[in-house]
Amino acid sequence: MRDQQREKVIQSVTWGLGGIFVLLGFGLMAMVLVGAWPTLAEPHALARLLSPTWDPMRDQWGLLPFLLGTAVVTCLALAIVVPLALATGISISRMLPWSLRPQAVRLLAALTAIPSVVFGWWGLETVVPAVRILGGQAGFSLLAAAIVLALMLWPTLGFLFAEALMKVPRSYVEASAALGASDDQTLVRILIPSAWPQLMNAFLVAVARGLGETVAVQMVIGGQVAMPAGLLSPGATLTTQLLTDATLFPPGTRGHAALDAMALALLAAMGLLVRLSARWQGQP
Amino acid sequence: MHHLAFFVMLGAVLVMAGLLLDVVREGLPHLTWQFLTSAPKERGEGGGIGPEIVNTIVMVGGAMIVTAPLGLLVGMSQVEWRPPHAVVSVFDQVRATWLSIPSVVLGFLVYRVAIAWWHWPLSVVTGVLALCVMNWPMMVSVAVTALRNVPATYREASWALGATRSQTVRRVVLPAALGELINGWGWAMARLAGESAALIMTAGLNVSTHWSAWGPGETLAVYIWYVRTEGYGARGSGVAAATALTLMLLIALILWVSGRLSDWRQHPGR
Repeated sequence: MRDQQREKVIQSVTWGLGGIFVLLGFGLMAMVLVGAWPTLAEPHALARLLSPTWDPMRDQWGLLPFLLGTAVVTCLALAIVVPLALATGISISRMLPWSLRPQAVRLLAALTAIPSVVFGWWGLETVVPAVRILGGQAGFSLLAAAIVLALMLWPTLGFLFAEALMKVPRSYVEASAALGASDDQTLVRILIPSAWPQLMNAFLVAVARGLGETVAVQMVIGGQVAMPAGLLSPGATLTTQLLTDATLFPPGTRGHAALDAMALALLAAMGLLVRLSARWQGQP
Repeated sequence: MHHLAFFVMLGAVLVMAGLLLDVVREGLPHLTWQFLTSAPKERGEGGGIGPEIVNTIVMVGGAMIVTAPLGLLVGMSQVEWRPPHAVVSVFDQVRATWLSIPSVVLGFLVYRVAIAWWHWPLSVVTGVLALCVMNWPMMVSVAVTALRNVPATYREASWALGATRSQTVRRVVLPAALGELINGWGWAMARLAGESAALIMTAGLNVSTHWSAWGPGETLAVYIWYVRTEGYGARGSGVAAATALTLMLLIALILWVSGRLSDWRQHPGR
C-alpha cells in the first residue's frame, strides 16, 4: 500500500513539472503576442506594419526593411550552402574510403559547435573587406551577411545530409548497381528520393537556424534601417534589429511593441517550420 | 557528378580551414598566461580575459545545474509515466516550438520580465536565467531521446520481477540511458558557452573587479562581440581572436570530456 502511494506521489510530481513546462512554453508565446498587441489592434495595422519606413522619431514603425532583410539574407545563404552541403553529404557517404567516413562525420559535428560570434569575427576580417573590394561600397552588406551565414550553416547541413544519405539501406544501392545503373543514376534515382524526407528535414533545420541567427549577421550587415537598395547595400534583419534596439525602447512604449511584432513574425515563421517538419516525419 | 561534388566539398573545407587558421594565427601571439588571468583593459597594453572565463564557466554551470534535473524529470514524465497520447502530442509540439525560438527573442523576453519588471540588474544571475530559458527545452529533448532509446524489454523485465515504476526508472532505465544523457548534456553546454545574443541583453557588456552573482556577467562569446563591434581600436582583432581561440578550446574540452565519459558509460572496459 505504501509503495503504491509513493508511486502516486512521484507520478504527480513529474506530471506537475511537465505541466509547468508546457504552461511556460505557452506563456513565452503569449508574452510575445500580448506585447505585440498594441501594433496589431490599431486601425490599418497590417498596412502600417508592412510600411517601408522605420523612423522612431516620427512614430513610423514599418517592419518591411527587416522582413526583407531576413528573407533576402536567409534565402541567399541557403542558395549558397545547399549545394555545398549536398556535395559534402554525397562525398562523405559515397566517395570517401569506408574507414574515413565516421571520422569525417564526427569532424563536421565538431565544427557545428563553433560559436556564431566566431563566424561574425571572421566575416569582419575577411568577407567585409572582400565585398568592399568587389563592390566598391562599405562592404557591410546583405551579401556579406549571407556569405557568413552560409559558412556557419555548412557543417550543420552537411552533417545532416551525410547522415540522411548514409541511412539509405545498402541493399537499395546494390540492387540499383546490379540492374546496371551508373553511380550518378543511382544517386539521382535511388539515393536522393529514398532519403528525401530526411533531406527536407535537414533543410528545414538549416532554414530555422538561418532565420534565428543574430550576432554573426549583425556584425557584418551594417545595421541600416532604410530599405536596402541591393545586395551590396547595408541592411538589417528582424533578429539584428531586435538585438540592437531591445534596450533602447522600455516596455510600454510603442517601440517596444514594434520589437514584439518582430519577435512575433519570427515565432510565426518558426511555428510554420515546426509544422512542416512534423509533416515530413509523417506525424500529424 | 560525384567528382564535381568532391571538389565542391573541398572548396568549403578550405574556406572553413582558412577561418580556423585565421583564429589561430591572429590569436596565438596574444594567448599568454597573463592574458588568461588578468582583467580586460580598454586602453593601453596588457589586459586579459580572466573574469570572462570565470563568468562563462559559472553561468554555463549554473544553467546546467538548474535545467538538467528539471529537463530529466520533465522527460521522464512523458516517457516513463506516459500520459494519454493527446497530451504527449501537445507536449512534443510545445517542446519543438520552444526549441525553435531564436535565442535573441528569449533574451528579449527575459530582459522584459527580469530587468524591466522585476528590476534585476544586468548580471550573472539574470544571464543564468536567460540561459535556463534557452536550455530547458534542450534538456527535455535530450532526456526524451535518451529515455526512448532504452529498449522497452528492459522495463518489462524489471516490472516482471516485481519492481515498481519508480524503482525501474532509478535502477534500470537511468543507468542504461546515462551514456546518451551525458553526451547530450555536453553538446548543450557547448551551445550555451557559445551563446551571445541573449546574454548581451541580460548579462551586460562588462565585468567588475570584485566578482559577484549580481555583478555584471560578460562571457567570452559576448566579449568577442563587444571588442569587435563597440570598443577597442586596432588591437581589437587580435584580442578577439585570442578570446575566440580560448572559447573554442574550452568548448572542445567540454565535448571531449563528455564524449569520453559517455563512451565509457556505454562501453565500459573499452
